[in-house]
Formats: sequence, structure tokens, C-alpha cells
Amino acid sequence: MDLIAYLDAGSGSALLTAIAGGFAAVAVMARIYWNRVLVFLRIRKPEEDTSRQQEQPDSA
Amino acid sequence: MTVPIPADISPSAGGAQLEPGSFRDPESRVFYSGDGVFRALSDDGLSDFRALASTKLYERFAGDGRLVETNLLEGADGLPEGLVKEAAGVLEHERIPFVSYPYEWPFSMLKDAALLQLDLLLAALEEDLVLKDSSPYNVQFKGAKPVFVDVGSFERLREGEPWVGYRQFCMLYLYPLMLQAVKDVAPHPFLRGAIDGIAPTQMRGLVSFRDRFRRGFYLNVFLHSKLERRHADRGKEVRDELKRAGFKKELIVANVRRMKKTVGRLEWSPPQGVWVAYGERNSYTDDDAKRKDEFVREVATSEPWGMTWDIGANNGRYSRIAAEGSRYVLAVDADQGPIELLYRSLREEGEEGEEGEERILPLTMNLADPSPGLGWRGAERRALHERGSPDLVLALALIHHVTIAANVPVAEFVGWLASLDTALVIEFPTREDPMVKKLLGPKRDGLHPDYERESFERVLAERFDVERRERLESGTRLLYFARPKGAGRPVDLTAAEG
Repeated sequence: MDLIAYLDAGSGSALLTAIAGGFAAVAVMARIYWNRVLVFLRIRKPEEDTSRQQEQPDSA
Repeated sequence: MTVPIPADISPSAGGAQLEPGSFRDPESRVFYSGDGVFRALSDDGLSDFRALASTKLYERFAGDGRLVETNLLEGADGLPEGLVKEAAGVLEHERIPFVSYPYEWPFSMLKDAALLQLDLLLAALEEDLVLKDSSPYNVQFKGAKPVFVDVGSFERLREGEPWVGYRQFCMLYLYPLMLQAVKDVAPHPFLRGAIDGIAPTQMRGLVSFRDRFRRGFYLNVFLHSKLERRHADRGKEVRDELKRAGFKKELIVANVRRMKKTVGRLEWSPPQGVWVAYGERNSYTDDDAKRKDEFVREVATSEPWGMTWDIGANNGRYSRIAAEGSRYVLAVDADQGPIELLYRSLREEGEEGEEGEERILPLTMNLADPSPGLGWRGAERRALHERGSPDLVLALALIHHVTIAANVPVAEFVGWLASLDTALVIEFPTREDPMVKKLLGPKRDGLHPDYERESFERVLAERFDVERRERLESGTRLLYFARPKGAGRPVDLTAAEG
């Protein structure tokens, strides 16, 4: 199930929830930045942007 | 819990009407048919509801009335036209006696709605469900009791998704509560001004640098607005990034728990003067107050009234008397302070098991500037007069505020009351009354020639059948009981008072 919520979570807001989760958030943030490093070093490809057409307008 | 579909929502009955404020989520759409409130669910929506209905959370919250009473109907006939997704199922909900909105709630009502939202979300997460949004419009009040009405908000949790409703929670719950608690700024104009509430960047502009040291502010306001500006166009990218990093349920739980603490700490109390005045009645002698109580009680209990509106309710004294003879009472006052205190005392009484809690709905609203229609086509949120009509109106110690302080002509005020097609108890303080003198004080002489007892009585008798008139002992206040024109047995107001 890869549906998009009817409500736009907001990208900044979604990131904030990753930061604001206290101890549980540390690992997530570490993995986000580790992924960015791997993409920067071209060890990992950036994820294909296949579902752009599924983007919904802001309905918040 | 599945019950047969009632005959009056069969296709032949027709007349099913979509709720204009329920279009945002295509999986779930509220509609009305006859006196019933229904919800059409898409295929996904129905699966989500079935998942919810099998949980302990549903049993618990529906059992104690915090979740609206709901039945899944057999079949999906009699649906309204215009559904975005084909309906796979229909739910029937209990009807809330009077729909109200967050811009009409005092602080503690909004806070209690926020805490209910968070409690439901925590309980949902335990069952691998989540709430797909965080809107206070999904909470209604039965008297002083919050009820979550949007069962279509529950959905099965998707792996890797963050707390989708976090931003909306901030905009419609957290920021308004923070403004009132920390800045002593009533959030009602903001909520009434924008249906989506206060955006993080707006909120950032409303607080000062030193507020960042207050609990919950740095993260939810300062950092939030900063991240929102920086990542404005990276929606898909961020979502993928979070998913790949493994955004787990535990993280949402940690977020919601933190939010619950932040909201729980926000407190606001009306100014001291409101506390002092609460329970007192200004400019009345004891005899006047006693007689006024009796007059209102005699009318309120003379017949079974359905809906009573106590407009200018103040501390709700007469709302409580009205509740002795009414099925439901709306207690409305422009001043948030006494309405906040009324809500608190009704809530406490409810906790002690007294029944008044669910029959008096306290709301704050300026009747000279009542809630308008809002949102898409001005119909998502309804104006006050579109949400029901009263059978009895109490307009006690109100007319001088509306006509002198807000300059509404006496005839227009009485005309508005007549347009409600309702029985009426109205109090008229004469120009000699201390409060009227105070209101007239700063006004130029001759500005309110229509504020005279004779002209008021003439206008009242033109629009109503006045059945009773009584002058209170101190002499400056008169009480009237009237019915809509043609429905009562009018007395002669030109005769001496009885």
C-alpha cells in the first residue's frame, strides 16, 4: 500500500517529526544523513522519482 | 453492530444531502437523509473502519462516549450524488444537538479537544492505526463533553509514514492554545479568519525571541517555521528520505507523547475580575435577582422546550435554570472569561456524575458579529443561524449592549429575534439603569433616541405577542415573555404593569 495521505504533511513538518522524537529520532536522523553522504559520494543512487504524478496539491 | 439500512435512506426516499464541510477526504463523506447523519465510505475507507471497529480502542472510546455513536449499515443505498469515490459502505452516526467550531470555544474546550485528539492517536497507534488528520473540526461538544465525530479519520498505519497530522495539529490546536496561554491573545479571530489555522511561519512572526526559551516553542514554532521555509518544495524527496531511514511507529508515539506534555502544560485563566464577577450579579438588588430567577424559571418550566438559546449568558446562571425545562441549552456570551469558567464547572459536575454536563453548551461569540459561513463557497463551516433554530431565547441584560455599545438599532435587534421564530424572554433595562448610564456615558446625547421603554415596547408588540410583562422591584429593569406573532395571547402593554 503506497498511497499518499489526503493531507499534505508538509516537508519541513515531516522532517521536524523526525527530529522531535527524542531518543527514537537519533537513529532516523543518523540514517538520513548517512544516506545523503552515500548519495553525495555516488555510492548510492538518489531514489528514482517515479511517482511525481501522484503528488497532490496542498490540501492541508 | 451491523444494522439494516433504514427505509428513509433508500433510493426512493431521495433527498440525501452532502455535508458541504466534509469533502476534503475522498475516502469518507458525511451526508444527511431525513433526520439522520450518515457517512459514505470508499472501499479503502470501509476497510479502515472495519479495522477500527475490531479494536479495543473503539470499544473503549465509543463505550464512554468520547467517540461518536456509530453503526455500520447493511448495503449502501440511497446515496447522495456527487461522491468523488464510489461508496462501499455507509455508517450512521448519532446526531450532535448543536454543531460548534473552535473559534467559538473558550480555551479549555480547545485544550480538551486537543487532548482527546492525542489520546485517540496514542490508542490508535497501539492498534497499528493512525489518525490521518488533526483537525479540531473533527471534535464536537455534547454540552461540556468532547466527542470525536470523524471515525473516517482512522486508517491503517503505513510503514515509514511520519505523523501526517502534525502540521495541522500545530496550526489548529497548538498555536492557538499557545497564543492564549503565553501571549494572552485570544486565538478566535485567527481561527475564524483562516479555516486552516495559523501557519508555522505566521506563528513565528507572532512570538518574540525570548519565547524560544519557553517549553515547546523552540521545536514547534522556531525550528518548525525554519524547516518549512527551507524544505518548502521537497515533499516527495523528504517522504522518501524518511521512509528509507526507517520512520518507525515508535517515533510517532514519541512525538505524540511529547506533544501531549506540551499541550498539558499550557494554562490560561480569565482575569481576576471575571472570577470575582462570576457568581455575582452586578447592578441587581437581592430581591430583583430572586424575582428574575423566578420569572425565568416559570417560563422555562411552563412547557417542555426543545432548544433554548441563552444569548448574553454570562456565568450561565439562567442557562442552568433553562436546562430545568429544555432538552438542550446554548449558553453564548461575547466574553470568553465567564464562558471558560462555566465550561470548567460543567465539566467538573460531569466528572461528579451530574447530568447537566451534556445539556448546556457554552460558546463564546459576539452576537453583534456572529460566526459567518467559512471555507469553500462559505459553506464548509456554517453561520450560527444555519445550524439550528431555538424554541426559546433568553435575552437577559443584553439589549443595551447590542443597541448602545454596538449601535444596532432597537428595531433591528428585535427584528432579528423575531426572525428566529421563537418564544422569547427579554429584559429591558431603562435609561435610568446604572449599566445603561455607563454605556451611554461616552456617547453623544441624542445618539440613541430609540432606546426608550415606550418605543421598545411598541417594536416588540409589532413583532411578537407579548404575554407577560413585569417590572423588577428596583424599577429600572423590565422582563417580558413573548411568543411569535399569532402564536400567543397578547396583553395590552399600554395598560398599567401587572
